Amino acid sequence: MITQSSPWQNRVRRLGVFLLVWGVAALFLIPFLWMVSSSLKPNYQIFATPPQWIPNPPQWQNYTEALTMLPFGRYVVNTAIITIAVIFGHLLSCTLIAYAFARLRAPGRDTLFIVVLATMMLPYPVTMVPLYVLFNWLDWINTFLPLTVPAFFGSAFYIFLLRQFFMTVPRDLEDAARIDGANTLQIIFRIMTPLALPAMVTVAIFSFQAAWNDFLAPLIYLQQPDLYTVTLGLQFFRSTFTTNWAYLMAASLATSLPMILLFFVAQRYFIEGISLGGMKG
Amino acid sequence: MFLKSRAARRETLTFYLLISPWIVGFLFFTLGPVLVSLGISFTRWNLLTPPVPIGLRNYTRMLDDRLFWQSLSVTFRYTLLYVPSELVGGLLLALLMNRNIKGIRADRTSYYLPTVISGVAFVVVWMWLFQPEVGLINATLSRFGIQGPRWLADPRTALFALWMMSLWGLGRNAIIFLAGLKGIPKELYEAAAMDGAGMWQGFRHVTLPMLTPTIFFVLVLSLIATLQTFTSAFVATNGGPLDSTLFYVLYLYRKAFQEFQMGYAAALAWVLFIVILLLTILVVRSGQWWVYYEGERES
Amino acid sequence: MPSIVVTATPTVRPEGAIAVLRAGTGDSGEGLTPHFKIIEQFEAANPDIQVQLEPVGSGDYYARILTQIAAGDPPDLLQIGDDAVPRFVDAGAFIALDDYITGGEHPLDTSIYLPGVLEPGRWNGKQYLLPKDFSPLAVYYNKKLFDEAGVPYPQDGWTWQEFLDTAKQLTKTDAAGKVTQWGVQLPGPWTTGFEYWVSAAGGKLISEDGSTFTGYMDSPEVQEAVQFYADLYNKEKVAPLPADMNSFGGGNTEFENGTAAMRIFGRWPQAGLRQNPNIDLGVVGMPVGKQRANVLFWGGFGISALSQDKEATWRFLRDYTGIEGAETWKDWALPTVKEVADSSGLSTDPIEGVWLNELNYLAPRAYVSTPYWGETADPALRRVLETVILDPQANVAELLKTAAQDAQSALEELP
Repeated sequence: MITQSSPWQNRVRRLGVFLLVWGVAALFLIPFLWMVSSSLKPNYQIFATPPQWIPNPPQWQNYTEALTMLPFGRYVVNTAIITIAVIFGHLLSCTLIAYAFARLRAPGRDTLFIVVLATMMLPYPVTMVPLYVLFNWLDWINTFLPLTVPAFFGSAFYIFLLRQFFMTVPRDLEDAARIDGANTLQIIFRIMTPLALPAMVTVAIFSFQAAWNDFLAPLIYLQQPDLYTVTLGLQFFRSTFTTNWAYLMAASLATSLPMILLFFVAQRYFIEGISLGGMKG
Repeated sequence: MFLKSRAARRETLTFYLLISPWIVGFLFFTLGPVLVSLGISFTRWNLLTPPVPIGLRNYTRMLDDRLFWQSLSVTFRYTLLYVPSELVGGLLLALLMNRNIKGIRADRTSYYLPTVISGVAFVVVWMWLFQPEVGLINATLSRFGIQGPRWLADPRTALFALWMMSLWGLGRNAIIFLAGLKGIPKELYEAAAMDGAGMWQGFRHVTLPMLTPTIFFVLVLSLIATLQTFTSAFVATNGGPLDSTLFYVLYLYRKAFQEFQMGYAAALAWVLFIVILLLTILVVRSGQWWVYYEGERES
Repeated sequence: MPSIVVTATPTVRPEGAIAVLRAGTGDSGEGLTPHFKIIEQFEAANPDIQVQLEPVGSGDYYARILTQIAAGDPPDLLQIGDDAVPRFVDAGAFIALDDYITGGEHPLDTSIYLPGVLEPGRWNGKQYLLPKDFSPLAVYYNKKLFDEAGVPYPQDGWTWQEFLDTAKQLTKTDAAGKVTQWGVQLPGPWTTGFEYWVSAAGGKLISEDGSTFTGYMDSPEVQEAVQFYADLYNKEKVAPLPADMNSFGGGNTEFENGTAAMRIFGRWPQAGLRQNPNIDLGVVGMPVGKQRANVLFWGGFGISALSQDKEATWRFLRDYTGIEGAETWKDWALPTVKEVADSSGLSTDPIEGVWLNELNYLAPRAYVSTPYWGETADPALRRVLETVILDPQANVAELLKTAAQDAQSALEELP
């Protein structure tokens, strides 16, 4: 961007932006830090008045005790298996489907697209029972199949997301490739997906998170404790009448670390972004 | 003419070939259960004994159901509050995330952090912050001599408190907007700057139009998801106090699994489905007037 | 749609085959340890049976087992809470256990149980579930705060008036009129806990035949109970207002912080309270109104009507909820078996003895009269409690009248 301000004005503006960015970040961080602080307190200190930020003394053992009270290692492995399968399934299927909706003209396309969206509109509690009957009939209960196989058949959210991004990619790039003899699959994987990389990464991140934090589906389909996922494990710190707050917070934080790391790494792809000009040139 | 229609037929074929996984999945995993749930909505079913057909009674019953109307009203009021704030807030956050300053990676991560916390812990933290006597929010306010409201314990503020809680998860949409921002070719800004456009004009004439596909996506998705809000109310308020946070899907869940009225719950679900579908079609139709797709531009 | 077929004929298992049973529980966390322990002991003693525990934490347990039952695939053994018993049993989800208890190869002597703990598992004169654990209500008190204020500790058999006086004496305000210490922390608009106040005031919420709320929910006795409870919050101001209206116990934490002298609740948080350095814990029975009363919260196990091997399930259930099980449960919750409570010294323990003694004063809970309590009167009563807590000007008599009518029409309009 071309600016004609003096270096001094420039510095003030930069400082302003810096303060704004971090001020807002602080708002988002405070509840999170409170969570961290609570995870290191004995239960009776969590609600002390006035609120205490620094646990005294910090109960590091909350983490080890919370994570060893239940076989969280096992839960993490189970969840990771499901998550990886789901991400793979979504990226593969949704890319193809989204491309078709974004670029190809066919009778019935727009109606079908509404149907795709409509699959997100029926509240889950009422399809839970028939779905269970279906998976039970397939003999898929107590396997990861009900949690992973559907991902390979696309999911409305990601189809829609990718469609939106594919539609912003200029057609001339695609036309040029077609003239060079590229077929549809080559166009999708050589042209569209690299250009929509931020969107692909977004799909991966969201898909990871949705699978990692999914609660209702594992609750219903996984009955053997050795198949349980992290979210089912976290639920065990709450019972009807009491909750082990500190353990719940410690285990929640510890098990969300993979997502935090993934995001920290994946954002490289946002920062770099895509320069269409570079591709065109 | 013949050639053209052959090409068109080829395109149609490719289209259906590419979306075939979705069609198979839809027929197999979605359509069956959906139709069954429609069937259930015409029955009385306590989940424990076989369902009894009762025709349209579940649907007519809603008209006199005070809590049905209450839950509809709660859900609509919340949607009107939340969807716009999610759009504007998400976009503003994305613009902040898009700055090139020192520590931006940590900064972006901090916006995003709350969204990785799993549902229950997320809500529980906010329940603490909202505690009227010992909670962090009111404790901070009281330092400035302000007596904070009773938040979740007061029917006048509970829905608003849930709204504040949900804004903490804004980072999610900000990511989508950020992906949209990153997809805007830099040359467009350069061209605009060359024409003497300032920051605001750049935003109005380049960023906003180029971002309309993303805005459209977030709007539709936010509408569909917000009308089905469940977890925050399920954990934090269970619909109270005095039904002030009785969201539609929470009411539906209560009917299904706490009051053993699966038939009525299914009917409620289908009514909501129709409402969401109509609203979505409305928004999608409106899209042709304001959504700009670079790829659709005739070159 | 799958339907439930109630059969009494147990499947015949081939000689030498191992039966694998599934047991569903809503317990969680540390609470699972005794389950695993009992299962381990049982499997060692019964090599022909294996038990797989299927635990689900917190409130989603019912959604899961209802889905499983609806799909015809529930665990053999199901744990449910007291208030769900009429509903599940009424719909035929469990088999009656009487034939197994009295006859068969493995009878069970039901006289081993403490008073009142079998009743919640009974419906229409038959026993469907056996008790796992339970808790009545009691008053926790913090001896430190009593000592500081020079107030004598509450004694068993104290009255509502004495309770109120004690709470007043322990409520302290600073110069600005702000309360710095509360007399008692109450469990907010918790309807099931509130049934204690109704019973102690000599009232009833529902007619015995389960058909009528009007004339019961709005009776003078219930009015008195609601008024007394509401006054503790708004008139006497001896109780902090609920921090939220959802959590059991109102989400308050004053007792844990050492800023409330007493707390009315069940035994569930007791282990944490004992470790809390802010508290020197004492427990005393619920105060006596027009009559002495208490209410029982209870979890029990029953055999699913869909179980494929009811005989084996019974053998496990008998252990799980009998003397063998109680020997393990006693380290985690109150044991249900009298002999175990006595031999472990719990009956004479200054704290645990209080809980056990309260079993002698149990009043029947309202839901035993109708399977539809949860969707008719419970929300109506809840609305009354929320209103009187939030609004000091609320007219209790009017509110209860409306609530009774609402509950009545909800009951009559049930689909």
